[in-house]
Amino acid sequence: MLTIHNLSKNFGSFTALKDINLEFTNGVYGLLAPNGAGKTTLMKIITTLLYPSGGEVLYEGQDIFKRGEDYRELLGYLPQEFGYYKNYSPMQYLLYIAALKGLEGKVAKERAIELLKLVGLENVMNKKMKKFSGGMIQRVGIAQAMLNNPKILILDEPTAGLDPKERVRFRNLLTDLSREKIVILSTHIVSDVESIANEIIMIKDKEILYKDSMRNICNLIEGMVYETEVAFDEVSSFKQQYQSLSEKQEQGKMKIRFISKDDIPASTWKPVSPSLEDVFLNIYNDEILEGDNQ
Amino acid sequence: MSIKVHEFKKVVTSTVIIGMILLFIAFNLFLVFDHHYIRNELTVLNKMVDELGYEINDEMLENFQDLYRDELKKMNEITNDKTSKTYGDVGTFFEEVRNDYDLYNVYTHKELDHMNQIMIMEIYLDFIKDMDHEYASFDLLEFAETEISLYGLQGSAAETARSNYEKLGDRLNQLLDNGEHKNMFFIGQIYGMHSLLFKDIFRVVSFEIMILVVLITAYIMNYEFENKTPLMVYSTRRGRNIIWDKLLVAMGSGVIATTLILGITLIAYFCLFSYKGLWTVPISNYFNWEDVFPLISWWDMSFIQYLICSIVLTYICGILFTMITFILSIFTKNSYISFFAFGILFGLILLIPDIMPRSNNLIFLSGFTPFHLVLNPQIWFTGRGIFTIFKYYEITIVGVWGLLLFIGGKLSAKRFIKEDIH
Repeated sequence: MLTIHNLSKNFGSFTALKDINLEFTNGVYGLLAPNGAGKTTLMKIITTLLYPSGGEVLYEGQDIFKRGEDYRELLGYLPQEFGYYKNYSPMQYLLYIAALKGLEGKVAKERAIELLKLVGLENVMNKKMKKFSGGMIQRVGIAQAMLNNPKILILDEPTAGLDPKERVRFRNLLTDLSREKIVILSTHIVSDVESIANEIIMIKDKEILYKDSMRNICNLIEGMVYETEVAFDEVSSFKQQYQSLSEKQEQGKMKIRFISKDDIPASTWKPVSPSLEDVFLNIYNDEILEGDNQ
Repeated sequence: MSIKVHEFKKVVTSTVIIGMILLFIAFNLFLVFDHHYIRNELTVLNKMVDELGYEINDEMLENFQDLYRDELKKMNEITNDKTSKTYGDVGTFFEEVRNDYDLYNVYTHKELDHMNQIMIMEIYLDFIKDMDHEYASFDLLEFAETEISLYGLQGSAAETARSNYEKLGDRLNQLLDNGEHKNMFFIGQIYGMHSLLFKDIFRVVSFEIMILVVLITAYIMNYEFENKTPLMVYSTRRGRNIIWDKLLVAMGSGVIATTLILGITLIAYFCLFSYKGLWTVPISNYFNWEDVFPLISWWDMSFIQYLICSIVLTYICGILFTMITFILSIFTKNSYISFFAFGILFGLILLIPDIMPRSNNLIFLSGFTPFHLVLNPQIWFTGRGIFTIFKYYEITIVGVWGLLLFIGGKLSAKRFIKEDIH
């Protein structure tokens, strides 16, 4: 079990994380927050790249920084900015990372071939990576993270830069790979975690806001999400009154999905089941608006 | 494959590093072959040593003079035959030839070449004749005072310099007693072979090795940061400890580069200039006295011992520069900045003695650096240069800097292991 106790991280006077408490057992955890919320900082601490300013991270009751190599050999990590050596082939690259992970030569080669097949790169395993697409590079990244069959798999924005088809492929791949592991998947794309995460962790204002199952998190706004059709000239005033979640033009009117905390809904409103995206938009409404304005 | 092999592959696949090694080797070969014109004259000494031995003693001198007389006689037979003239010495013959160019055409190339060889024998005999007088008239302490005055040394600094020259004087007396000076070697004042090998070649090679090891170390240490892979690499099992693998690989690569550059250069040098029969000649021989100051090694060393010591010191300097760059790279995380930081450090350290008070021993201390060491390989292990005339100058630099850099390296690595990687 991976446990985080009262974790905080400051960069000079800037606080990136504050009083974080989390527990991870085997399963897929979706770390959901807008960009800049501290997801990457948290992941870098779990991977021992950053040292906490306060608090501790324990694996099986022992401080991960004191465990050092013993802890890191259980890790698989795909960073958000996945660098690679342009003149290396995927095979060469995986063998290098395998050496760093302490895998013996023969085992490393077998494992690299197995993973390259799994991520669909067996035909290009000896081609230089400089000609690869973003999706292919990302698949190499996933393969390197899996080389040591990690107990803890950390994936930071793994679908960034992938086209929709590749994202679906990645999700399926992750479902296959995630058995008997702690998988922590950070993203600001809700649909990435919606189908595969057992639990969702939301960070807001440098702190953990929720850590719960998707169902429970969605229940937070149960009975508050509606859809209705609004005439175009009324859209502006409607949006001032209610928080719009999504909008779509339909048959000369605007179909709006929105949140209302009114006790008595209007008769034209159609109640709908809240999705994780609805919760995300509701929680991070201010930050998203700030982001849009910037 | 081990981590070190992977790291080493990064070095050998760098076109810049390989290109520079090839460029340096080509330049050194040019430097060596640029002096090919003295080659034939040098072989005269090999022949003489083969016949007479290199140790100058009464017996050898007698044999030498007999040999010379025989050769002169043969020459006079030829000149008498062709011009009805004979000469008391070869110098007079060449003086005459210089003034009357037509005489060149009287003799064949082979004859002139032979006469030239006798001329060299004659020069050696003249040098040997003057040898005792030269040492007797050389006043080391007077030289010391001139140097002290020239560099404006005062107080304790002047006293240290005097004391060092006195110690060197003791060593000079010792070598004169031992007869280390009484040995045949290439005439320094004419050919400058000690300077060619240890000043021109070793200095150039030392600088090349310095540039290469700095490049290699900076390149390999910052490879991850420049390829945006530090997050992956430093979160693996080996993690930040990979810097120790990198240091060893940088040192190993530096040693290989040194072997290639120095090895090929020296092979070319010794193929071109034969040292046959001269390897065991004491380095402090009279003929290595090239300018105003005789060559006085602090220990009784043969040429081959001196050469081996210089080669070992060149390797050690390369390792010291590797360690300096290792420390710089931990802080800069950029190969270009590391390279330029090294260059700036080099410049600043060389400037320090100039700003030191001339009356304090600190002026000597500021010259105890590997940067000063590589500037003057021709005076390694010898008493020469007022600021470097310490018996254990080289050993002290290697020992103290080695220790400081070891501690500095350990502390820097400890800092790196505790620092955030973004």
